[in-house]
Amino acid sequence: MENDVILSVESLTKAFGGLYALKDVTFLVKKGAIKAVIGPNGAGKTTLFDVLTGLQPPDRGRAVFLDREITCMPAHQLAGIGISRTFQTVRIFPGMTVLENVMVGLHHRTGCGFLKAALKLPSERKEEKFIREEAFSYLEMVGLELMAHFPAGSLPFGRQRLLELARALASRPKLLLLDEPASGLNTYETEELGEILREIAGQGITILLVEHDMGLVMRISHEVLVLDYGEVIAEGTPLEVKDDPRVIEAYLGSEI
Amino acid sequence: MVKRGFLATRGIARRVWRNYKAFLLFSPFVLLLPLWAEPLGRSISLNIVYLMRMVGIFTLTAVGLNLLMGYAGQASLGHGAFMGIGAYVSAILSTRWGWPAWAGILLGTLLAAFVGYLLAPILRLRGHYLAMATLGVGIAAFIFFREMTGLTGGNVGIREIPKLNLFGLEISSKKAEFYFVWLLVILVLLLCQNLVRSRVGRAIRAFHQSEVAARIMGVDVASYKMKVFMLSAALGGLAGGIYSHLQGYINPSQFSVMLSIQLVVMVVVGGMESIWGSVAGASLVVFLPSLVEALPKWMGNVPAWVRQYSNYEGLVFGAILVLTMIFLPKGITTSTVEFYRRKTRKAAELMGEEEPVSIPEEEVRNGK
Repeated sequence: MENDVILSVESLTKAFGGLYALKDVTFLVKKGAIKAVIGPNGAGKTTLFDVLTGLQPPDRGRAVFLDREITCMPAHQLAGIGISRTFQTVRIFPGMTVLENVMVGLHHRTGCGFLKAALKLPSERKEEKFIREEAFSYLEMVGLELMAHFPAGSLPFGRQRLLELARALASRPKLLLLDEPASGLNTYETEELGEILREIAGQGITILLVEHDMGLVMRISHEVLVLDYGEVIAEGTPLEVKDDPRVIEAYLGSEI
Repeated sequence: MVKRGFLATRGIARRVWRNYKAFLLFSPFVLLLPLWAEPLGRSISLNIVYLMRMVGIFTLTAVGLNLLMGYAGQASLGHGAFMGIGAYVSAILSTRWGWPAWAGILLGTLLAAFVGYLLAPILRLRGHYLAMATLGVGIAAFIFFREMTGLTGGNVGIREIPKLNLFGLEISSKKAEFYFVWLLVILVLLLCQNLVRSRVGRAIRAFHQSEVAARIMGVDVASYKMKVFMLSAALGGLAGGIYSHLQGYINPSQFSVMLSIQLVVMVVVGGMESIWGSVAGASLVVFLPSLVEALPKWMGNVPAWVRQYSNYEGLVFGAILVLTMIFLPKGITTSTVEFYRRKTRKAAELMGEEEPVSIPEEEVRNGK
């Protein structure tokens, strides 16, 4: 495998009943790139993410992350090897504070168990301090530091998306999967998000992104993959893809 | 620069106060109870001490159940079974083989945890299914205690269980038992509070609120569920073991499904996701029947239906549970704390003080 590839997906297939959500999906993601996955509703984008993050087993095919097969890896082990994600429907922990949400993101980077925690040993206190400060720095990164002690569920929707992003970043991923991060955001917030994503990519984190906001996709992504009915119909730079007749057809219907 | 002397002590004191406020406020109140109950009259104060031992026992179990139900979100309607296991193991070992009480209690605790470990596969069930399965565990345990007559003495149960004895130190008076139980309870509450405010506690609360997100963040949900279940079973076993030595006799009816339901009432009414809520819930469940029983003594004539309270005790607990779920879904403890906070905030507003818009960074970093 080439050295600058971080994720390679080979003929990944997943069917629900007779319907293919993913059909022989094959693509590569280069290290440090921002790659967008686009396609009409029901094209299989979220299924792709679920299969990649161990939430659903594929029927066929495999995914290799940095020379390691991740196809059937349990979801909780992925954080440890450097994969994190956000969700299309925000999945924060609403009853915990904003800061605590991000602190959970540091779970796999720390290791304090039941006994140490119950006895509050000095090593545990030290680790807690590290978790707290580290989590706080991620909050600062997305601009939520002043809301650190608010219940996460009380944040407005756009802020919840940013919180989810901060939580995913806190696990210090090499590959970050973002499922429609801009949906439900207003123009200003989307702009802000684009800036943050660029900053994240600048730190060497590879981003795979499902997104409907074409403006955002065109602005920030290096490569675009287009899915339709579970199949890859186009792949290339944003400009190439934009003018591809098959893409236009998938989005607008064919010209008669 | 390292702070020394007075400054350092003050820093530690402040941290202890911030983290253990409830303990510093309530522990003296509870531990000095035999003293301040004295002026109420000899019989009442004895009664209170007597009942408080039971509150302590139930608190031990309830706080374990709270970790499981309140924090981890996994219902158990059969937690009485673990109390029963602890009680029977310790009772059998001490009456038949002359084991010292502490060893029996320890083994009962470990065995309850082990049974929890064996039952871990049912934790794959969710919601109502898990509730049903644990209810089944409770019923099965009750039948086991009743029917294994050779081992458990059947319906008669086990009598003449020796008093608590800690390494040669006899704990036989009610007051001594009270102190023993409550020192242990406060220790356990302290450990539990540390636990829920740690990385482990966050992981547990996280998968309660979104299992998928917790897994993506690297939380091994199945393993955590099992460990919490074992811990909560162990606390039930511990409480059961002590209970058998305090009570001196046990029989299956003490560990029926009714006990499991009462434990759930303690957790829900006291307050889910609240360590001290377990104390409040246990107090309510233990004191309510005695208060109603004591009514005729204080008020002279009471209607006949009050006298027959024990006949419909289950009904009253059911009603309390329903009303709590509707009006105080967070339980009495959490709701009271929130009410108090709202009130003080309102008072501050009335005084013309606005809420601080931005919090100094130092404070934000250090947390609550």
